[in-house]
Amino acid sequence: MKNLAPRRRRWMRARIGVLALLLLGGAGAVGHRAWELQVDRAPALREMAEEQYLRRIRLAPKRGSIYDRHGAELAVSVDVDSVWANPRELRREGGDPRAVAAQLAQLLSVDRERIEARLSSDRYFVWIKRRISPRLAAEVRRRELPGVHFDPEPRRFYPNGPLASHVLGFANIDGEGIEGLELALDERLRGSVRAVPAIRDRRGRVVFSQQLLDDRAAQGDDVMLTLDRTIQRIAERELALAVQTFEARAGSVVVMDPHSGEMLAIANYPTFDPNQPGASPASHRRNRAVTDRFEPGSTVKPFTVAAALAAGTIGPEQLIDCMNGAMEVDEYTIHDTTPHDHLTPAQILALSSNIGAAKIGGTLGRRGLYRAFRRFGFGEATGLPLPGEADGILRHFERWYEMDAATIAFGQGMSVTSVQLASAMSVLANGGKLVEPILVRRVTDGSGHVIDEAAPRVRRRVVPERVARLVADMLTAVTGPGGTAEEAAIDGYLVAGKTGTAQKADYVTGGYSDDRWLASFVGFVPADHPRLVISVVIDEPVIAHYGGVVAGPVFRRVGEQALRHLGVPASDGGDALARQQREHERRRRLARRLERAQRRAEAASGAAARDAVAGVAPQPGEDEASVPELRGKTARAALAALRERGLRMVLEGSGLVRSQRPEPGTIVPRGERVRVELSPASEGPPAPERATTLALGPMAEPSSTEVAR
Amino acid sequence: MTQTPRPRESAPRGYPAVVGPADPVLTAVVVALVAFGVVMVFSASAVFASRTYDDPFRFLFRQTAFAVVGLVLMLGIARVDYHRYRPLTYVPLGGAVVLLLAVVLGFGRTAGGASRWIQLGPINIQPAEIAKLALILWLAYSLSKKRESIRSFQIGFLPHVLMAGILALLCLKQPDFGSAVMITLLTFVLLFTAGARLGYLLGAVLVALPIAYLLVVGNEYRMNRIRAFLAPFEHRHDVGYQVAESLMSFGAGGVTGVGLGDSRQKLFYLPEAHTDFISAIVGEELGFVGVAMLIAAFVLVVWRGLRAAAGAADDYGTYLAVGITMFLGLQSFTNLAVAMGLLPTKGLVLPFISYGGSSLLVNCAAVGILLNVSRARSTQEADEAAGDPPADSNDETGRRTRRRRSKQNRRRAKGVGVGVVAPGGSVG
Repeated sequence: MKNLAPRRRRWMRARIGVLALLLLGGAGAVGHRAWELQVDRAPALREMAEEQYLRRIRLAPKRGSIYDRHGAELAVSVDVDSVWANPRELRREGGDPRAVAAQLAQLLSVDRERIEARLSSDRYFVWIKRRISPRLAAEVRRRELPGVHFDPEPRRFYPNGPLASHVLGFANIDGEGIEGLELALDERLRGSVRAVPAIRDRRGRVVFSQQLLDDRAAQGDDVMLTLDRTIQRIAERELALAVQTFEARAGSVVVMDPHSGEMLAIANYPTFDPNQPGASPASHRRNRAVTDRFEPGSTVKPFTVAAALAAGTIGPEQLIDCMNGAMEVDEYTIHDTTPHDHLTPAQILALSSNIGAAKIGGTLGRRGLYRAFRRFGFGEATGLPLPGEADGILRHFERWYEMDAATIAFGQGMSVTSVQLASAMSVLANGGKLVEPILVRRVTDGSGHVIDEAAPRVRRRVVPERVARLVADMLTAVTGPGGTAEEAAIDGYLVAGKTGTAQKADYVTGGYSDDRWLASFVGFVPADHPRLVISVVIDEPVIAHYGGVVAGPVFRRVGEQALRHLGVPASDGGDALARQQREHERRRRLARRLERAQRRAEAASGAAARDAVAGVAPQPGEDEASVPELRGKTARAALAALRERGLRMVLEGSGLVRSQRPEPGTIVPRGERVRVELSPASEGPPAPERATTLALGPMAEPSSTEVAR
Repeated sequence: MTQTPRPRESAPRGYPAVVGPADPVLTAVVVALVAFGVVMVFSASAVFASRTYDDPFRFLFRQTAFAVVGLVLMLGIARVDYHRYRPLTYVPLGGAVVLLLAVVLGFGRTAGGASRWIQLGPINIQPAEIAKLALILWLAYSLSKKRESIRSFQIGFLPHVLMAGILALLCLKQPDFGSAVMITLLTFVLLFTAGARLGYLLGAVLVALPIAYLLVVGNEYRMNRIRAFLAPFEHRHDVGYQVAESLMSFGAGGVTGVGLGDSRQKLFYLPEAHTDFISAIVGEELGFVGVAMLIAAFVLVVWRGLRAAAGAADDYGTYLAVGITMFLGLQSFTNLAVAMGLLPTKGLVLPFISYGGSSLLVNCAAVGILLNVSRARSTQEADEAAGDPPADSNDETGRRTRRRRSKQNRRRAKGVGVGVVAPGGSVG
């Protein structure tokens, strides 16, 4: 430009200046706009931007695991594939919702129309099917359908199947606890963070945010239980065996450590598989040990005796008049199975005398008995972290009927749960203290830090240690020779316990049913240094119904195997020998007493035989009925057939009905007993059966397991 | 001035000798912008690249390679005296026309509804970018040659408008409305600089506006862009999506930005985040501070460019410098204005920053020329040839055989040029 004429050069410079100004103006406009967008309108625009990528997504943190006391997995969450689709992406990639829906419907067996409707929506995310098997997922992946994606989702898995299923409960597809501990501890297992702001890209994928990277948000707390998987398994196996053998309706076993209150096993039958909770009826899913209350019967007698000893209203060697087996209260009569005149408290427990228990209870007075039972924990929930725990019923003494004061002392007119029974028995086992039952041992967060740790806690002292020892000693006689539960004795260990054979209340007739029973045994072992308290409750056994016969063997087998598992030595040198010697002498004493008792019983032969637990039900109306054909039926079926006609059953043996007396078609008065002989299906003449022998028991007449009233 | 050591590469005989270095400020700013561009391309593209190509570094590596080649090219070209392009003017122009024709006739690669690229091995060439530089070279050549006759309609105005019209039409066919507008604008700017009659320019604008209006209204695609521009948030879910997302990106950045690499909008919310709309990512990650510095850098480029234009040794240099500077300046501010919703979407990249090989190489080459123009030149030799452009003045002087030969070349070149232009004009 220097070569140009000055005038032209000036003009050109001026024009360049104009251009410069124009561009500068443009720059200014852009700069001003930037200020407007980034300073003035920034909050509004930022909010709009955040609105699209910041979603408060419902976080599904990995649900915490549940372990047994040794760390064995009881409930875990494993990741499986869930199929979802992004309908917008599908359309963008030119996919046909109809065709894709058809393919998905065929592969995953889902409703085609519903899937098509979802795929045609205007959304970024729709579920197709959740938690599918790896094989199916691979199949769908291979099709490479447009806009169809997979996300790992945790699925609740119970590796032990039905083991401890009632305690664990189960969680639904969204990882929400529905039953059991899964429900009770839902908050902790699920994790504290429910929804967090997370950044997602436009394709709907969540981009990790800092909050998501936090372990605690991504995982729920782990729970370690006090249950011992091995003991739990033993308890479940033996319980199932007993319920099936005796053709019972249901049952439960509770094993606990009497000192710490830790629950080692809570078993119920029937059971279910929490992996497929829908496959079992609701009744199978009930945690009966905790939710079902029942009239305990004789199993509460030790508590009556302990309370009276503690209160000093009776002495340990005091003789109590047992009125030869019949005591009038109000318009009712309380019976003993075997009439006795005078018995010591120890004998009352060993022979399970109702009259003796009622009299001992009477020495406490209504208030005293009520207070004592409350202190043993009856009438209030034990506080286990399980949903639906029953309180049991122990009415206030001011509302007791005349009869109640007598019957509650031997366990009628009140109701308890299996767990309450075990907990109360722990008082006698551990020297008189009521400890809080513990089920959750420890809670740890996702990174392994202990959040909560259970420590044994004594609720209250119930009876002095001396009394607890005394009663525990008395209870060892129960499993001795001539006791009600010889079957519960464990070789090499001293067992203390108490049987119960309760007639079930019949809500139809308003009295007690004469053929529906609840057999129980609650005890602890070894009696001198108790390690385990075991309560066994069998509901409506048919083949036999005595607590000692039905529940006793369960106690023995569970105790035997559990002690072996825990490594409790069977004998420890001189002490053990001396103990065995003492035990032998005690059993001999007991045997002599028993002989006396039996002689008296024969003397009073006119009197009807009585069960350990007396019924106080009114008589049914008289009529006549025809005896049905029972041969070839199971005991339960035979019972049902007879009950239908108002007849009662006396049975011998086990298996199928081989013969009956009277013959079918005979017209007999209603209420008549029909004697039924059973034998195993494939056998000829019935050999004297173990079950039969057991059913006879030391306390019953040798002839049959007749149901008496 | 005379003390300054004479650079090794000399100007062609008859042209003012080069006595000074290239503008260091301009060099530094452009190198910084290119480097910044590599960083921003990586930040904006990493997520997209890892999802699409399973390689987050794909665009980083390619842009780095382009940047290295581009900067070497720029510094190399800065050493070549710009007068050497004069005889070669029609080579790039012809090449650009051929490439544009090839694209229009369907040999190009199609992306996003427009075929603007020609695949050449691993590189996609965008002929429109080359056309812009070729046009600047040709306009500078032609305008400096015509000198005073620039004020006439037939010689000074019509041929240039016709040539620009051909190129713009070819761009429109792709369709590439942005490049067509840019070509038209550059032509007007250079005509204005050269001193064409304002009346003609205004008249052309009056004629062009209805045509542009019809082009826009008659095309749903362009009309949508206008709608999106006028009310981006009303059309947030359809045509205004991109602009709305871009505005939100700027807003989300605020004053200081969310931090380099922390953009959320690049998570597929903002389409073309690493190309046309990379400024939105700059706005989001570095905030108003970053955007202001970016604008300042471009203002600096424009200032140094126009300064070089004003100080150029001759008309040709001035026109080249103005053309290149305005090309870079218009393109960058237009791009920013589009991203901020001040102008309708055009499909123009942000020079030096946006991802794209052909654009970066062309821009670097253009800056190389600009840098050469910025070099100080000896006034003596310029004075020797004062008054007349060398091509014409030396005609009669006839000094040496070498010069004569070069003169003849130039004449031949001129003759060819005229030959092409005239029929081109009549065809257009």
